[in-house]
Amino acid sequence: MGKTEVKGTVTSLSSMFPAEEAQKGAKRVEETLLEKQNEMNQLRDFIADNTSLINLVQKLPDELHHDIMVPFGKAAFLPGRLIHTNEFLVLLGESYYAERTAKQAAEILKRRGKSLESKVDSLKAVMQDLKAEASFFDSTASEAAEGLVEIREEYEDESSTQRVSQSDPLEQDSPSFTEPDNTMGASEDEEYARIMSRLEELEKEELAAESYGDDDEDQDNSPAESDGDEEEQTKAVFDREKNKGYSSLDHDQRYSESRKPLQQSEGKDPMKEEMSKNYHHQDLINQLACTGLTVEPVTKGKMSHSGTMPQDTKMLNPSITASAPSEKKVKFAVEHSSRNEKSVQASNSGFDGSKAFTGSIVEHTESMEKNLAHQSTTSSQLSGSQPWKPVSRFKMQRK
Amino acid sequence: MSSSSTAVRELQRDLENKANDLSKLQKDIAKNHQVRKKYTIQLGENELVLKELDLLNEDANVYKLIGPVLVKQDLAEANANVRKRIEYISAELKRLDASLQDLEEKQYSKREAILKVQQRIQSHQAGKAKA
Repeated sequence: MGKTEVKGTVTSLSSMFPAEEAQKGAKRVEETLLEKQNEMNQLRDFIADNTSLINLVQKLPDELHHDIMVPFGKAAFLPGRLIHTNEFLVLLGESYYAERTAKQAAEILKRRGKSLESKVDSLKAVMQDLKAEASFFDSTASEAAEGLVEIREEYEDESSTQRVSQSDPLEQDSPSFTEPDNTMGASEDEEYARIMSRLEELEKEELAAESYGDDDEDQDNSPAESDGDEEEQTKAVFDREKNKGYSSLDHDQRYSESRKPLQQSEGKDPMKEEMSKNYHHQDLINQLACTGLTVEPVTKGKMSHSGTMPQDTKMLNPSITASAPSEKKVKFAVEHSSRNEKSVQASNSGFDGSKAFTGSIVEHTESMEKNLAHQSTTSSQLSGSQPWKPVSRFKMQRK
Repeated sequence: MSSSSTAVRELQRDLENKANDLSKLQKDIAKNHQVRKKYTIQLGENELVLKELDLLNEDANVYKLIGPVLVKQDLAEANANVRKRIEYISAELKRLDASLQDLEEKQYSKREAILKVQQRIQSHQAGKAKA
């Protein structure tokens, strides 16, 4: 860092933990450890007693009676005989006794042995802790005796120190360099807001373009031009978007994400625009191919209407491929969302769904059902091995 | 001069009293610990008995040792007795816990007071040394 100021503090370990004190602590821990060790030995004795008792209890009923020496007083024994070798009075604890057979008594003793073992286990854990503590105390004592020092330094955040060092006016002129790193959340929010406002602007433009396109199409039956215009318009819009600096992948994703909810929240109108604008033909085809509507016989009179559709899609496709990859991503996302919406509409009510793509075919609402049928035929053909062939066929038929 | 020395003497007496109180408190705490240990052991024993009693058959003979004689007891009665005893012991343990906390708080405050008195004595002595 090249800083000359001293940041840390140095204290000798022996001043904080005097060697004698540490040794005293270590001694105390040793003592408790010894105590626990005694307890452990006691427990082990209990366990040994218990196992030998179990053996005895299991062996006693083997014989009908045993000749034993009965203790009498402190120092005297007299010969006796043990009878009823299968009857035991087992002390359960708290001066309660139970009459049990040898087998039952052995079971009780075994249970007791188990509880003893669990006690041994817990004691072992405690002893291990104590041992660790003792070793820690020992090492501390030895370190303190050796004269070890402890160095403490306040932890400082890299960025905060940088900020502090940037206090001179020259570097304050360019706060944008440090801002994105330090105030990431805020800038993101800001960006989000900007994108949203831009989106609204776009929607308005689309609306205007939409009305314009509708007018145009009302006059013309083959609206390749108007559609193309719209396409160009949106493309220009997207280009502008790109020029504004939203070209990074992250932002595009953000854009497409934010776009979806917007569309859904604004109801069906923007959806219609979206559909009629660029993709509705292709969307419809795809969607119809998916839903698999029944194909009805094609009447020649309606052919001319459906003929416009393939042209549009043809127009549309190159523009999509021609646009920059990031741009494309946005478009696809939009397309996807609109398609989803479209399918929902179609499944909800056939009429609404068919109305949704009225952008360029408004004038044909009376023959919607048939239109649908046409498109489904094309779609079924499109979904075949050679998707673009039907286009030329339609064109031929039209001519 | 004489007034300050009497003050110091008074403070020292105060300190002695407080130290006595503190040692008394510490003794109480140690006693509390011992009693608690006893009760926890009894609780464990009772729980063991209860477990065994639960495992016994209905018609098993249960005796209680009262003084030098074994008195036959009903199994259900013995069970109820043991349960009651466990309840009592748990309540007692809780009580002991509360009193232990109280005692420790008292000990802490006593210690603080003693420290204060010691500081005052030291300041007095320092003043004397200067004067």
